[in-house]
Amino acid sequence: MGTLDGRVACITGGTRGIGLGIAKGFLEEGAKVAINGRDRSKAERTLAELGAGDNAFYIAGDVKQRKSCEAIVDTTVDHFGRIDILVANAGGASGHAPIAELTDEAMQDSLVWNFWHTFWTMRRAFHYMIPQESGRVMAVSSLEGKVGKPGISIYVAAKHAINGLVKSASHEVGTLGITVNALCPGAIETDIMMAEGPPAAESMGLDYEGLLDMFSSESAIKKLNEVEDVAAVATLLASDAGAGITGSLISIDGGTAPY
Amino acid sequence: MGKLDGKVACITGGTRSIGRAMADAFIAEGGKVVVNGRDEVKGQQCLDEMGAGDNSAFYAGDASKQEAVEGLIDFTIERYGQLDICCLNSGGVQMTAPVAQMTDEEWNLEVDWNLNHVFWGMRRALQHMIPRESGRIIVTSSVEGKLGKPGIPGYAATKHAVNGLVKAAAHEVGTMGITVNAILPGLIETDIVRATGPDSAVAMGMSGYDELIETFSSESAIKRPNKVEEVAAVAVLMASDAAKNMTACMFPVDGGTMPY
Repeated sequence: MGTLDGRVACITGGTRGIGLGIAKGFLEEGAKVAINGRDRSKAERTLAELGAGDNAFYIAGDVKQRKSCEAIVDTTVDHFGRIDILVANAGGASGHAPIAELTDEAMQDSLVWNFWHTFWTMRRAFHYMIPQESGRVMAVSSLEGKVGKPGISIYVAAKHAINGLVKSASHEVGTLGITVNALCPGAIETDIMMAEGPPAAESMGLDYEGLLDMFSSESAIKKLNEVEDVAAVATLLASDAGAGITGSLISIDGGTAPY
Repeated sequence: MGKLDGKVACITGGTRSIGRAMADAFIAEGGKVVVNGRDEVKGQQCLDEMGAGDNSAFYAGDASKQEAVEGLIDFTIERYGQLDICCLNSGGVQMTAPVAQMTDEEWNLEVDWNLNHVFWGMRRALQHMIPRESGRIIVTSSVEGKLGKPGIPGYAATKHAVNGLVKAAAHEVGTMGITVNAILPGLIETDIVRATGPDSAVAMGMSGYDELIETFSSESAIKRPNKVEEVAAVAVLMASDAAKNMTACMFPVDGGTMPY
Protein backbone atom coordinates (compact mmCIF):
# COMPACT_ATOMS: atom_id res chain seq x y z
CA MET A 1 0.00 0.00 0.00
CA GLY A 2 1.44 3.31 -1.05
CA THR A 3 0.75 6.77 0.30
CA LEU A 4 -0.41 7.89 -3.17
CA ASP A 5 -2.49 4.90 -4.26
CA GLY A 6 -4.92 5.93 -6.98
CA ARG A 7 -3.66 9.52 -7.19
CA VAL A 8 -2.96 11.10 -10.55
CA ALA A 9 0.00 13.42 -10.94
CA CYS A 10 1.13 15.69 -13.75
CA ILE A 11 4.77 16.75 -13.84
CA THR A 12 6.13 19.31 -16.27
CA GLY A 13 9.69 18.66 -17.34
CA GLY A 14 9.27 15.15 -16.03
CA THR A 15 11.51 13.19 -18.33
CA ARG A 16 14.81 14.15 -16.73
CA GLY A 17 16.43 15.50 -13.60
CA ILE A 18 14.29 16.57 -10.65
CA GLY A 19 10.99 15.92 -12.44
CA LEU A 20 11.99 12.37 -13.24
CA GLY A 21 13.08 11.83 -9.64
CA ILE A 22 9.70 13.04 -8.43
CA ALA A 23 7.93 10.79 -10.97
CA LYS A 24 9.81 7.79 -9.62
CA GLY A 25 8.95 8.75 -6.03
CA PHE A 26 5.25 9.08 -6.90
CA LEU A 27 5.13 5.80 -8.84
CA GLU A 28 6.73 3.94 -5.94
CA GLU A 29 3.89 5.17 -3.73
CA GLY A 30 1.19 3.94 -6.11
CA ALA A 31 0.37 7.04 -8.15
CA LYS A 32 -0.27 7.33 -11.87
CA VAL A 33 2.01 9.89 -13.44
CA ALA A 34 1.87 12.00 -16.59
CA ILE A 35 5.28 13.33 -17.48
CA ASN A 36 5.85 16.15 -19.88
CA GLY A 37 8.85 17.06 -21.97
CA ARG A 38 9.72 18.46 -25.35
CA ASP A 39 11.63 15.54 -26.80
CA ARG A 40 9.72 12.38 -27.63
CA SER A 41 12.80 10.18 -28.05
CA LYS A 42 14.08 11.16 -24.58
CA ALA A 43 10.61 10.53 -23.20
CA GLU A 44 10.49 7.07 -24.67
CA ARG A 45 13.79 6.21 -23.04
CA THR A 46 12.43 7.59 -19.77
CA LEU A 47 9.23 5.55 -19.97
CA ALA A 48 11.26 2.42 -20.67
CA GLU A 49 13.50 3.21 -17.69
CA LEU A 50 10.49 3.76 -15.43
CA GLY A 51 8.97 0.43 -16.46
CA ALA A 52 5.66 1.51 -14.95
CA GLY A 53 3.44 0.31 -17.81
CA ASP A 54 0.07 2.03 -17.93
CA ASN A 55 0.82 4.01 -14.79
CA ALA A 56 3.16 6.36 -16.64
CA PHE A 57 2.18 8.44 -19.65
CA TYR A 58 4.08 10.97 -21.73
CA ILE A 59 2.64 14.30 -22.83
CA ALA A 60 4.68 16.24 -25.38
CA GLY A 61 4.68 19.98 -25.07
CA ASP A 62 6.79 23.09 -24.64
CA VAL A 63 5.99 24.80 -21.34
CA LYS A 64 6.95 28.16 -22.82
CA GLN A 65 3.59 28.14 -24.64
CA ARG A 66 0.38 28.84 -22.73
CA LYS A 67 -1.62 26.45 -24.89
CA SER A 68 0.88 23.65 -24.23
CA CYS A 69 0.73 24.24 -20.48
CA GLU A 70 -3.04 24.05 -20.52
CA ALA A 71 -3.00 21.03 -22.80
CA ILE A 72 -0.57 19.20 -20.50
CA VAL A 73 -3.02 19.53 -17.61
CA ASP A 74 -6.07 18.76 -19.79
CA THR A 75 -4.42 15.73 -21.35
CA THR A 76 -3.57 14.36 -17.92
CA VAL A 77 -7.26 14.54 -17.03
CA ASP A 78 -8.33 13.10 -20.39
CA HIS A 79 -5.94 10.18 -20.04
CA PHE A 80 -6.19 9.29 -16.34
CA GLY A 81 -9.64 10.75 -15.58
CA ARG A 82 -8.54 13.33 -12.99
CA ILE A 83 -5.66 15.35 -11.62
CA ASP A 84 -4.73 15.24 -7.95
CA ILE A 85 -1.18 16.51 -8.02
CA LEU A 86 0.45 19.13 -10.23
CA VAL A 87 4.21 19.55 -10.11
CA ALA A 88 5.25 22.63 -12.07
CA ASN A 89 8.83 21.53 -12.34
CA ALA A 90 10.17 22.61 -15.72
CA GLY A 91 12.43 25.60 -15.71
CA GLY A 92 15.83 27.05 -16.28
CA ALA A 93 17.36 30.14 -17.80
CA SER A 94 19.62 31.05 -20.65
CA GLY A 95 21.17 34.31 -21.75
CA HIS A 96 22.57 35.13 -18.30
CA ALA A 97 24.32 38.46 -17.93
CA PRO A 98 24.79 41.14 -15.31
CA ILE A 99 21.76 43.45 -15.34
CA ALA A 100 23.56 46.29 -17.10
CA GLU A 101 24.15 44.00 -20.07
CA LEU A 102 20.99 41.90 -19.81
CA THR A 103 18.69 41.63 -22.82
CA ASP A 104 14.90 41.90 -22.70
CA GLU A 105 14.73 38.56 -24.46
CA ALA A 106 16.68 36.72 -21.76
CA MET A 107 14.51 38.14 -18.98
CA GLN A 108 11.34 37.44 -20.94
CA ASP A 109 12.38 33.89 -21.72
CA SER A 110 13.18 33.08 -18.10
CA LEU A 111 9.92 34.56 -16.85
CA VAL A 112 7.94 32.55 -19.39
CA TRP A 113 9.84 29.33 -18.78
CA ASN A 114 9.75 29.47 -14.98
CA PHE A 115 7.04 31.84 -13.82
CA TRP A 116 4.39 31.98 -16.54
CA HIS A 117 4.54 28.22 -17.00
CA THR A 118 3.89 27.78 -13.27
CA PHE A 119 1.00 30.22 -13.41
CA TRP A 120 -0.53 28.70 -16.56
CA THR A 121 -0.42 25.12 -15.26
CA MET A 122 -1.55 26.10 -11.74
CA ARG A 123 -4.53 28.06 -13.06
CA ARG A 124 -5.61 25.19 -15.28
CA ALA A 125 -5.14 22.62 -12.53
CA PHE A 126 -7.25 24.76 -10.16
CA HIS A 127 -10.13 24.53 -12.65
CA TYR A 128 -10.21 20.80 -11.87
CA MET A 129 -9.10 20.85 -8.24
CA ILE A 130 -11.45 23.55 -6.93
CA PRO A 131 -14.67 21.72 -7.93
CA GLN A 132 -13.32 18.42 -6.57
CA GLU A 133 -12.16 20.23 -3.39
CA SER A 134 -8.88 18.41 -3.28
CA GLY A 135 -5.48 18.75 -4.80
CA ARG A 136 -1.79 19.32 -4.38
CA VAL A 137 0.17 21.90 -6.33
CA MET A 138 3.93 22.05 -6.05
CA ALA A 139 6.20 24.46 -7.82
CA VAL A 140 9.83 23.52 -8.11
CA SER A 141 11.38 26.82 -7.15
CA SER A 142 14.98 27.14 -5.99
CA LEU A 143 17.30 28.33 -3.30
CA GLU A 144 17.51 31.31 -5.67
CA GLY A 145 13.83 31.96 -4.92
CA LYS A 146 14.97 33.05 -1.46
CA VAL A 147 18.40 34.56 -2.06
CA GLY A 148 19.99 36.36 -4.98
CA LYS A 149 23.35 35.80 -6.62
CA PRO A 150 24.90 38.32 -8.99
CA GLY A 151 24.81 37.57 -12.70
CA ILE A 152 21.75 35.30 -12.69
CA SER A 153 19.02 37.84 -12.00
CA ILE A 154 16.73 36.39 -14.67
CA TYR A 155 16.57 33.13 -12.74
CA VAL A 156 16.47 34.72 -9.28
CA ALA A 157 13.64 37.10 -10.21
CA ALA A 158 11.55 34.35 -11.81
CA LYS A 159 11.96 32.00 -8.85
CA HIS A 160 11.14 34.75 -6.34
CA ALA A 161 8.01 35.46 -8.37
CA ILE A 162 7.02 31.81 -8.17
CA ASN A 163 7.36 31.88 -4.39
CA GLY A 164 5.04 34.91 -4.20
CA LEU A 165 2.51 33.22 -6.46
CA VAL A 166 2.59 30.12 -4.27
CA LYS A 167 1.90 32.12 -1.11
CA SER A 168 -1.06 33.96 -2.63
CA ALA A 169 -2.49 30.85 -4.21
CA SER A 170 -2.26 28.85 -0.99
CA HIS A 171 -4.45 31.39 0.80
CA GLU A 172 -6.96 31.46 -2.05
CA VAL A 173 -7.61 27.71 -1.92
CA GLY A 174 -6.60 26.93 1.65
CA THR A 175 -10.05 25.85 2.82
CA LEU A 176 -10.78 23.80 -0.30
CA GLY A 177 -8.56 20.85 0.47
CA ILE A 178 -5.90 22.12 -1.92
CA THR A 179 -2.35 22.84 -0.82
CA VAL A 180 0.16 24.92 -2.77
CA ASN A 181 3.84 24.77 -1.89
CA ALA A 182 7.23 25.60 -3.33
CA LEU A 183 10.25 23.31 -3.17
CA CYS A 184 13.48 25.25 -2.96
CA PRO A 185 16.39 22.95 -3.83
CA GLY A 186 20.01 23.91 -3.72
CA ALA A 187 22.18 23.27 -6.76
CA ILE A 188 21.76 19.80 -8.27
CA GLU A 189 23.77 18.58 -11.23
CA THR A 190 20.85 17.86 -13.54
CA ASP A 191 21.01 17.91 -17.35
CA ILE A 192 19.72 21.49 -17.29
CA MET A 193 22.43 22.49 -14.83
CA MET A 194 25.09 20.91 -17.01
CA ALA A 195 23.73 22.74 -20.06
CA GLU A 196 23.01 26.14 -18.50
CA GLY A 197 25.57 26.11 -15.70
CA PRO A 198 28.63 27.04 -17.75
CA PRO A 199 27.12 30.21 -19.27
CA ALA A 200 25.59 31.11 -15.89
CA ALA A 201 29.00 30.67 -14.29
CA GLU A 202 30.58 32.90 -16.90
CA SER A 203 28.04 35.63 -16.16
CA MET A 204 29.00 35.31 -12.49
CA GLY A 205 32.71 35.58 -13.30
CA LEU A 206 33.38 31.90 -12.57
CA ASP A 207 33.95 28.67 -14.44
CA TYR A 208 31.51 25.76 -14.10
CA GLU A 209 33.57 23.96 -11.45
CA GLY A 210 33.84 27.20 -9.53
CA LEU A 211 30.07 27.59 -9.69
CA LEU A 212 29.48 24.12 -8.24
CA ASP A 213 32.14 24.71 -5.58
CA MET A 214 30.48 27.97 -4.59
CA PHE A 215 27.10 26.31 -4.11
CA SER A 216 28.64 23.43 -2.15
CA SER A 217 30.71 25.68 0.07
CA GLU A 218 27.68 27.76 1.08
CA SER A 219 25.85 24.68 2.32
CA ALA A 220 26.32 22.87 5.62
CA ILE A 221 26.80 19.54 3.85
CA LYS A 222 29.51 20.92 1.52
CA LYS A 223 28.15 19.06 -1.46
CA LEU A 224 25.40 19.44 -4.02
CA ASN A 225 21.91 18.11 -3.49
CA GLU A 226 20.42 15.14 -5.32
CA VAL A 227 17.13 14.73 -7.15
CA GLU A 228 16.05 12.09 -4.62
CA ASP A 229 16.25 14.70 -1.84
CA VAL A 230 13.58 16.72 -3.61
CA ALA A 231 11.47 13.69 -4.52
CA ALA A 232 11.17 12.63 -0.87
CA VAL A 233 9.71 15.99 0.15
CA ALA A 234 7.40 16.09 -2.89
CA THR A 235 6.05 12.66 -2.00
CA LEU A 236 5.29 13.77 1.55
CA LEU A 237 3.53 16.94 0.39
CA ALA A 238 1.48 14.95 -2.12
CA SER A 239 0.26 12.48 0.52
CA ASP A 240 -2.62 12.84 2.98
CA ALA A 241 -0.06 13.68 5.66
CA GLY A 242 0.73 16.87 3.74
CA ALA A 243 -2.79 18.27 4.17
CA GLY A 244 -1.71 20.80 6.78
CA ILE A 245 1.35 22.09 4.93
CA THR A 246 0.64 24.90 2.50
CA GLY A 247 2.11 28.22 1.44
CA SER A 248 5.49 26.84 2.42
CA LEU A 249 8.79 27.48 0.73
CA ILE A 250 10.61 24.34 1.74
CA SER A 251 14.40 24.44 1.61
CA ILE A 252 16.09 21.29 0.33
CA ASP A 253 19.49 22.84 0.09
CA GLY A 254 21.78 21.19 2.63
CA GLY A 255 21.42 24.17 4.93
CA THR A 256 22.15 27.03 2.53
CA ALA A 257 19.19 29.42 2.64
CA PRO A 258 19.17 31.70 5.66
CA TYR A 259 15.41 31.20 6.20
CA MET B 1 10.33 -2.95 5.42
CA GLY B 2 10.14 0.36 7.21
CA LYS B 3 11.98 3.59 6.57
CA LEU B 4 13.52 3.47 10.05
CA ASP B 5 14.30 -0.23 10.47
CA GLY B 6 16.85 -0.68 13.24
CA LYS B 7 17.01 3.03 14.06
CA VAL B 8 16.84 4.14 17.68
CA ALA B 9 15.06 7.34 18.67
CA CYS B 10 14.41 9.25 21.85
CA ILE B 11 11.70 11.87 22.21
CA THR B 12 11.35 14.44 24.98
CA GLY B 13 7.71 14.95 25.85
CA GLY B 14 6.93 11.76 23.99
CA THR B 15 4.00 10.33 25.87
CA ARG B 16 1.35 12.66 24.50
CA SER B 17 0.34 14.78 21.53
CA ILE B 18 3.09 15.71 19.02
CA GLY B 19 5.82 13.61 20.64
CA ARG B 20 3.52 10.64 20.94
CA ALA B 21 2.52 10.91 17.27
CA MET B 22 6.21 10.90 16.38
CA ALA B 23 6.76 7.82 18.55
CA ASP B 24 3.86 5.97 16.93
CA ALA B 25 5.05 6.90 13.44
CA PHE B 26 8.66 5.89 14.15
CA ILE B 27 7.56 2.53 15.49
CA ALA B 28 5.31 1.98 12.47
CA GLU B 29 8.43 2.48 10.31
CA GLY B 30 10.48 -0.05 12.23
CA GLY B 31 12.22 2.21 14.75
CA LYS B 32 12.83 1.69 18.45
CA VAL B 33 11.74 4.57 20.65
CA VAL B 34 12.35 5.83 24.17
CA VAL B 35 9.63 8.28 25.15
CA ASN B 36 10.16 10.75 27.96
CA GLY B 37 7.63 12.44 30.19
CA ARG B 38 7.28 13.57 33.78
CA ASP B 39 4.57 11.20 34.87
CA GLU B 40 5.33 7.49 35.42
CA VAL B 41 1.66 6.57 35.21
CA LYS B 42 1.16 8.34 31.88
CA GLY B 43 4.42 6.82 30.71
CA GLN B 44 3.25 3.29 31.42
CA GLN B 45 -0.13 4.04 29.86
CA CYS B 46 1.67 5.33 26.75
CA LEU B 47 3.73 2.13 26.46
CA ASP B 48 0.60 0.01 26.90
CA GLU B 49 -1.22 1.94 24.17
CA MET B 50 1.70 1.79 21.76
CA GLY B 51 1.93 -1.96 22.19
CA ALA B 52 5.44 -2.04 20.75
CA GLY B 53 6.89 -4.43 23.33
CA ASP B 54 10.66 -4.29 23.55
CA ASN B 55 10.78 -1.67 20.81
CA SER B 56 9.62 1.03 23.17
CA ALA B 57 10.64 2.23 26.61
CA PHE B 58 9.80 5.08 28.95
CA TYR B 59 12.20 7.40 30.74
CA ALA B 60 10.74 9.56 33.49
CA GLY B 61 12.06 13.09 33.80
CA ASP B 62 11.28 16.79 33.57
CA ALA B 63 12.59 18.13 30.24
CA SER B 64 13.25 21.51 31.82
CA LYS B 65 15.96 19.88 33.95
CA GLN B 66 19.44 19.19 32.63
CA GLU B 67 19.88 15.86 34.41
CA ALA B 68 16.63 14.54 32.97
CA VAL B 69 17.44 15.52 29.39
CA GLU B 70 20.97 14.12 29.54
CA GLY B 71 19.65 11.11 31.41
CA LEU B 72 17.21 10.36 28.58
CA ILE B 73 20.03 10.37 26.01
CA ASP B 74 22.25 8.16 28.17
CA PHE B 75 19.39 5.78 29.01
CA THR B 76 18.50 5.37 25.34
CA ILE B 77 22.07 4.52 24.37
CA GLU B 78 22.39 2.12 27.27
CA ARG B 79 19.06 0.46 26.50
CA TYR B 80 19.40 0.08 22.73
CA GLY B 81 23.14 0.46 22.17
CA GLN B 82 22.94 3.58 20.04
CA LEU B 83 21.03 6.79 19.34
CA ASP B 84 20.17 7.63 15.73
CA ILE B 85 17.33 10.14 16.10
CA CYS B 86 17.06 12.67 18.89
CA CYS B 87 13.71 14.49 18.98
CA LEU B 88 13.73 17.48 21.29
CA ASN B 89 10.05 18.05 21.35
CA SER B 90 8.98 19.03 24.85
CA GLY B 91 8.13 22.65 25.52
CA GLY B 92 5.51 25.21 26.33
CA VAL B 93 4.56 27.86 28.84
CA GLN B 94 3.05 27.60 32.27
CA MET B 95 1.69 31.06 33.21
CA THR B 96 2.75 33.41 30.45
CA ALA B 97 2.33 37.18 30.68
CA PRO B 98 3.18 40.32 28.73
CA VAL B 99 6.78 41.46 29.23
CA ALA B 100 5.84 44.13 31.77
CA GLN B 101 4.16 41.55 33.98
CA MET B 102 6.45 38.57 33.28
CA THR B 103 7.91 36.99 36.40
CA ASP B 104 11.50 35.82 36.60
CA GLU B 105 10.24 32.38 37.58
CA GLU B 106 8.11 31.97 34.45
CA TRP B 107 10.83 33.43 32.24
CA ASN B 108 13.44 31.05 33.60
CA LEU B 109 11.12 28.09 33.28
CA GLU B 110 10.42 28.88 29.62
CA VAL B 111 14.13 29.38 28.86
CA ASP B 112 14.99 26.07 30.54
CA TRP B 113 12.09 24.16 29.03
CA ASN B 114 12.16 25.47 25.47
CA LEU B 115 15.77 26.51 24.87
CA ASN B 116 18.16 24.97 27.39
CA HIS B 117 16.48 21.59 27.09
CA VAL B 118 17.20 21.63 23.36
CA PHE B 119 20.81 22.67 23.94
CA TRP B 120 21.39 20.05 26.66
CA GLY B 121 19.84 17.30 24.56
CA MET B 122 21.57 18.30 21.35
CA ARG B 123 24.99 18.57 23.00
CA ARG B 124 24.70 15.16 24.63
CA ALA B 125 23.33 13.53 21.48
CA LEU B 126 26.04 15.06 19.26
CA GLN B 127 28.76 13.74 21.57
CA HIS B 128 27.44 10.27 20.68
CA MET B 129 26.63 10.97 17.02
CA ILE B 130 29.84 12.76 15.96
CA PRO B 131 32.15 9.73 16.49
CA ARG B 132 29.60 7.55 14.67
CA GLU B 133 29.31 10.12 11.85
CA SER B 134 25.60 9.58 11.67
CA GLY B 135 22.52 11.01 13.30
CA ARG B 136 19.40 13.12 13.15
CA ILE B 137 18.43 15.91 15.51
CA ILE B 138 14.82 17.04 15.15
CA VAL B 139 13.63 20.00 17.18
CA THR B 140 9.98 20.90 17.60
CA SER B 141 9.99 24.66 17.23
CA SER B 142 6.89 26.70 16.37
CA VAL B 143 5.46 29.38 14.11
CA GLU B 144 6.37 31.60 17.05
CA GLY B 145 10.00 30.84 16.16
CA LYS B 146 9.51 33.21 13.26
CA LEU B 147 6.65 35.41 14.47
CA GLY B 148 5.92 37.04 17.81
CA LYS B 149 2.51 37.39 19.34
CA PRO B 150 1.84 39.68 22.30
CA GLY B 151 1.53 37.98 25.67
CA ILE B 152 3.85 35.06 24.91
CA PRO B 153 7.23 36.82 24.85
CA GLY B 154 9.14 33.97 26.46
CA TYR B 155 7.77 31.39 24.08
CA ALA B 156 8.45 33.55 21.01
CA ALA B 157 11.95 34.43 22.22
CA THR B 158 12.97 30.87 23.08
CA LYS B 159 11.56 29.41 19.87
CA HIS B 160 13.47 32.05 17.86
CA ALA B 161 16.57 31.09 19.82
CA VAL B 162 16.04 27.40 19.11
CA ASN B 163 15.90 28.11 15.38
CA GLY B 164 19.24 29.89 15.58
CA LEU B 165 20.74 27.03 17.54
CA VAL B 166 19.53 24.54 14.91
CA LYS B 167 21.09 26.54 12.08
CA ALA B 168 24.45 26.91 13.79
CA ALA B 169 24.58 23.26 14.83
CA ALA B 170 23.62 22.09 11.33
CA HIS B 171 26.65 23.88 9.91
CA GLU B 172 28.94 22.48 12.61
CA VAL B 173 28.12 18.85 11.79
CA GLY B 174 26.97 19.15 8.17
CA THR B 175 29.78 17.05 6.72
CA MET B 176 29.53 14.32 9.36
CA GLY B 177 26.37 12.59 8.23
CA ILE B 178 24.36 14.38 10.91
CA THR B 179 21.40 16.60 10.13
CA VAL B 180 19.85 19.15 12.47
CA ASN B 181 16.40 20.46 11.60
CA ALA B 182 13.46 22.26 13.14
CA ILE B 183 9.78 21.64 12.54
CA LEU B 184 7.63 24.74 12.94
CA PRO B 185 4.04 23.74 13.61
CA GLY B 186 1.16 26.14 13.77
CA LEU B 187 -1.21 25.85 16.67
CA ILE B 188 -2.19 22.29 17.50
CA GLU B 189 -4.72 21.37 20.15
CA THR B 190 -2.32 19.30 22.21
CA ASP B 191 -2.77 18.43 25.88
CA ILE B 192 -0.36 21.24 26.79
CA VAL B 193 -2.31 23.79 24.75
CA ARG B 194 -5.59 22.61 26.30
CA ALA B 195 -4.08 22.87 29.78
CA THR B 196 -2.32 26.23 29.48
CA GLY B 197 -4.23 27.79 26.56
CA PRO B 198 -6.95 29.44 28.66
CA ASP B 199 -4.38 31.33 30.77
CA SER B 200 -2.26 32.13 27.71
CA ALA B 201 -5.32 33.54 25.93
CA VAL B 202 -5.93 35.96 28.79
CA ALA B 203 -2.27 37.05 28.76
CA MET B 204 -2.63 37.65 25.02
CA GLY B 205 -5.60 39.93 25.61
CA MET B 206 -8.19 37.50 24.34
CA SER B 207 -11.54 36.50 25.77
CA GLY B 208 -10.56 32.87 26.24
CA TYR B 209 -9.42 29.59 24.76
CA ASP B 210 -11.86 29.62 21.82
CA GLU B 211 -10.58 32.99 20.67
CA LEU B 212 -7.02 31.69 20.88
CA ILE B 213 -7.86 28.78 18.57
CA GLU B 214 -9.86 31.07 16.28
CA THR B 215 -7.05 33.66 16.05
CA PHE B 216 -4.39 31.13 15.09
CA SER B 217 -6.74 29.39 12.64
CA SER B 218 -7.76 32.63 10.96
CA GLU B 219 -4.13 33.53 10.24
CA SER B 220 -3.59 30.28 8.33
CA ALA B 221 -4.66 29.50 4.81
CA ILE B 222 -6.42 26.34 5.91
CA LYS B 223 -8.43 28.12 8.65
CA ARG B 224 -7.96 25.29 11.13
CA PRO B 225 -5.37 24.19 13.66
CA ASN B 226 -2.78 21.67 12.50
CA LYS B 227 -2.70 18.04 13.56
CA VAL B 228 -0.08 16.01 15.35
CA GLU B 229 0.04 13.47 12.51
CA GLU B 230 1.08 16.21 10.11
CA VAL B 231 4.11 16.96 12.26
CA ALA B 232 4.91 13.27 12.73
CA ALA B 233 5.02 12.67 8.97
CA VAL B 234 7.64 15.39 8.58
CA ALA B 235 9.64 13.95 11.49
CA VAL B 236 9.65 10.53 9.79
CA LEU B 237 10.93 12.12 6.59
CA MET B 238 13.68 13.99 8.45
CA ALA B 239 14.66 10.81 10.32
CA SER B 240 14.85 8.68 7.17
CA ASP B 241 17.74 8.14 4.77
CA ALA B 242 15.81 10.10 2.13
CA ALA B 243 16.47 13.32 4.07
CA LYS B 244 20.22 12.85 4.43
CA ASN B 245 20.83 16.12 2.57
CA MET B 246 18.18 18.18 4.32
CA THR B 247 19.62 20.15 7.20
CA ALA B 248 19.22 23.53 8.90
CA CYS B 249 15.71 23.46 7.51
CA MET B 250 12.93 25.32 9.27
CA PHE B 251 10.15 23.06 8.02
CA PRO B 252 6.72 24.70 8.33
CA VAL B 253 3.68 22.63 9.27
CA ASP B 254 1.43 25.63 9.78
CA GLY B 255 -1.23 25.62 7.09
CA GLY B 256 0.31 28.65 5.44
CA THR B 257 0.64 30.99 8.43
CA MET B 258 4.23 32.18 8.36
CA PRO B 259 5.29 34.76 5.79
CA TYR B 260 8.66 33.08 5.19
